[in-house]
Amino acid sequence: MATYTRANAWNNGGTFANPDLLWYARGVKAMKQKASDLFDRNGWRFYAAIHGFDQGVWRQLGYWSPADKMATAADQKLFWLQCQHGSWYFLPWHRGYLLAFEAVVRAEIANLPGGPKDWTLPYWNYFKANENKLPPAFASPDWTDGTGDNPLFVKQRYGPGDDGNVFVPLDSVDLDAMGDSDFTGTASGGHVGFGGPNTGFMHPGAQNRFGGVENQPHNAVHGLVGGQNKLGLMSDPDTAGLDPIFWLHHANIDRLWEIWRQNPPSDVDPVDPKWTKGPASIGERKFSMPMPAGVPWDYTPGDMSDLGKLDYTYDDLSPSVVAEALDARLLRLGAGAATVEAAEGVTAVTSGQNVELVGENQGPVPLAGSEALTSVQLDKDVRQKVAASLSAAVAGISPEPDRVFLNLENIRGKAGAPVLGVYVKEPGGQEVRAGNIALFGLRKASLTDQEHAGQGLTFVLDITKIVDELHLNNVLDVDSLQVRIVPLNPVPEDAKITIGRVRIYREGR
Amino acid sequence: MTRASQVRLQITLPMVLMSAGAWLLLALTPMRVIPVSHCSSELWGAGFSGATPGMLSFLKTYASFSAGWAVMLIAMMAPLLIVPMRHISDRSLARRRVRAILLFGASYAGVWTAAGLVLTMLAQQFRRSAPDSRLFLPCGIVFALLWQFSPAKQRCLNRVHVHADLTAFGWTADATAVRFGLLHGFWCCGSCWTLMLLPLLVSRGHVVVMAVVTLWLWAEQLESPTPSRWCWRAPRKAVRIAAFWTAMLWSSAIQRQTLTASWRTSQ
Repeated sequence: MATYTRANAWNNGGTFANPDLLWYARGVKAMKQKASDLFDRNGWRFYAAIHGFDQGVWRQLGYWSPADKMATAADQKLFWLQCQHGSWYFLPWHRGYLLAFEAVVRAEIANLPGGPKDWTLPYWNYFKANENKLPPAFASPDWTDGTGDNPLFVKQRYGPGDDGNVFVPLDSVDLDAMGDSDFTGTASGGHVGFGGPNTGFMHPGAQNRFGGVENQPHNAVHGLVGGQNKLGLMSDPDTAGLDPIFWLHHANIDRLWEIWRQNPPSDVDPVDPKWTKGPASIGERKFSMPMPAGVPWDYTPGDMSDLGKLDYTYDDLSPSVVAEALDARLLRLGAGAATVEAAEGVTAVTSGQNVELVGENQGPVPLAGSEALTSVQLDKDVRQKVAASLSAAVAGISPEPDRVFLNLENIRGKAGAPVLGVYVKEPGGQEVRAGNIALFGLRKASLTDQEHAGQGLTFVLDITKIVDELHLNNVLDVDSLQVRIVPLNPVPEDAKITIGRVRIYREGR
Repeated sequence: MTRASQVRLQITLPMVLMSAGAWLLLALTPMRVIPVSHCSSELWGAGFSGATPGMLSFLKTYASFSAGWAVMLIAMMAPLLIVPMRHISDRSLARRRVRAILLFGASYAGVWTAAGLVLTMLAQQFRRSAPDSRLFLPCGIVFALLWQFSPAKQRCLNRVHVHADLTAFGWTADATAVRFGLLHGFWCCGSCWTLMLLPLLVSRGHVVVMAVVTLWLWAEQLESPTPSRWCWRAPRKAVRIAAFWTAMLWSSAIQRQTLTASWRTSQ
């Protein structure tokens, strides 16, 4: 039995009647009240800066002033700006970040009169019925201990409508990533995996891709809570850690990782030493967090893999979406009983297979207003190869049909973190939703002298089911597919969002 | 080996083999290959001093320079092109991958050949005007260090990380591959030109200087883009990678040795 069990924030209605939330608020207050919380290793703003820091943006949002005593240069170098995004280190780095933060808050709580010694960080499961709204304890400036000074309340949370009503629209988030059996994906246009593509020695640049769970629900919830076109704290990686709800959101992402791992032998973490040993193995900074009293704690992804060994669990690890087995897909494609039976129990794992370009659109697509339309021209030979692979698999000749992926590449701009619905259809056909993406990190990824080299963000959506459907309806043999991108709220012109290129890839033999 | 690894190897292997072959050639016949050692003075004289040695002689000199420079370029730069070539491969239709990569490589080499001509003549001019040949390399290093500190160098390094947009269909697929090669070559020249000057300044030990410069260039490109400003920049990441994996190999060797020893004791 683990010592620490993280529980649902919505227990007791998500109010301060939930002791986890009440003590969380008191712990946060203690962190914020440190003499100089940007200098103190256990200060509130110091901890947020570990995730990201941009002096200009912090100042703009009222979280930094020239009078602030900054952390020492050595502390900034060791701890600040560590967050791992668009990388297979995303999950393990954030798990360690949560553990260290939780230890600091727990230590603060234990010092308060009547404070429990075993407090744990609650999680916000926005997928649970009626719990997709921001827990009430975060929504009001007033709280049990005072009026107008609730430590969990921030003004810069604008919600999906940019109007301050904070909730997670359930049609804007999904758990599709839970159905991906591979942790590691590819950065060449094919599937991105549950945890993200291998972060190689070279700077990823244009190769950068979000892993499945990082795009959905992680990025989406950041944008839906922080704001679409308005820059809320949660909308930008450099400010997200300043919002107390950030930690509950990440506890939920961490919980999803643990649920995903309940399905071995397919759903397992990487064993590649470049993952287990962490970024130190590729010449990057090691993961390091200030524990209570500011003592540095170094960890690797390998250390984070087994939550049980860390003495932690969650109160709810009920199974979520599981990968579509190959036999189910073949049945859907109309394969005969013998073929389906032969594929029984096989999970569609495609990692390490051939990834090939099928087609692309004409060029950059500006996104302003309520939608953007583009047409993806398909190469005749390659699309016939896809169709042949589906037919061969159904006939039992080839073991596995191709999977197909839609790539939205090099998205640049200046907005908060707009959520975009992406729809696909064949000319004259019925439109089908390919998925939702959220442009979390857009501002930073568009800067030429930052890690992304101004290459912007790239997203990959699995459109295999859509292509299967086209094949079944005998309409896959078309010269182009239409792609429509619909922002949740109309995007203003001055956000200057452009989608660099839309491409379609096949992954298979 | 997975299919994806095979595809990656289709780019990595030829580039590594080409580079290794060029290094072998340089090691065996350095004085016949490296341009500065045999033809730059002729080039200078033929092209710019107003002498009229005849078209045939000029072309021979220029061809000799280009061949020598090409060997240097392949040896030093081929490994640096693996990442951009993967970018091209990923964004080209499978049947056009080789063509696109060749177009990229040719235009990249074209930029560097033009730059090489200028660098060789610069080196030659320097060698003529400097009073003492022992000063050539130290002066070149000081000059390279000055550039190394500059924001312009960082700007070029940042741009080297940018992978140009490519198209897949029609003549524009060829045009964008050429454009990428030209752009990548331009920023690469901007980033490396002072370092590439160094082998051209020495009278002996060209290959050793080239090898050191190549290692530096390779290591430098592992670094992530950062804001451009005056500062000392060294490829620390490569050192960290080497240190980490050396330590890993060392500890696993010790572990193996201990296991073998305990197995022998138990026998």
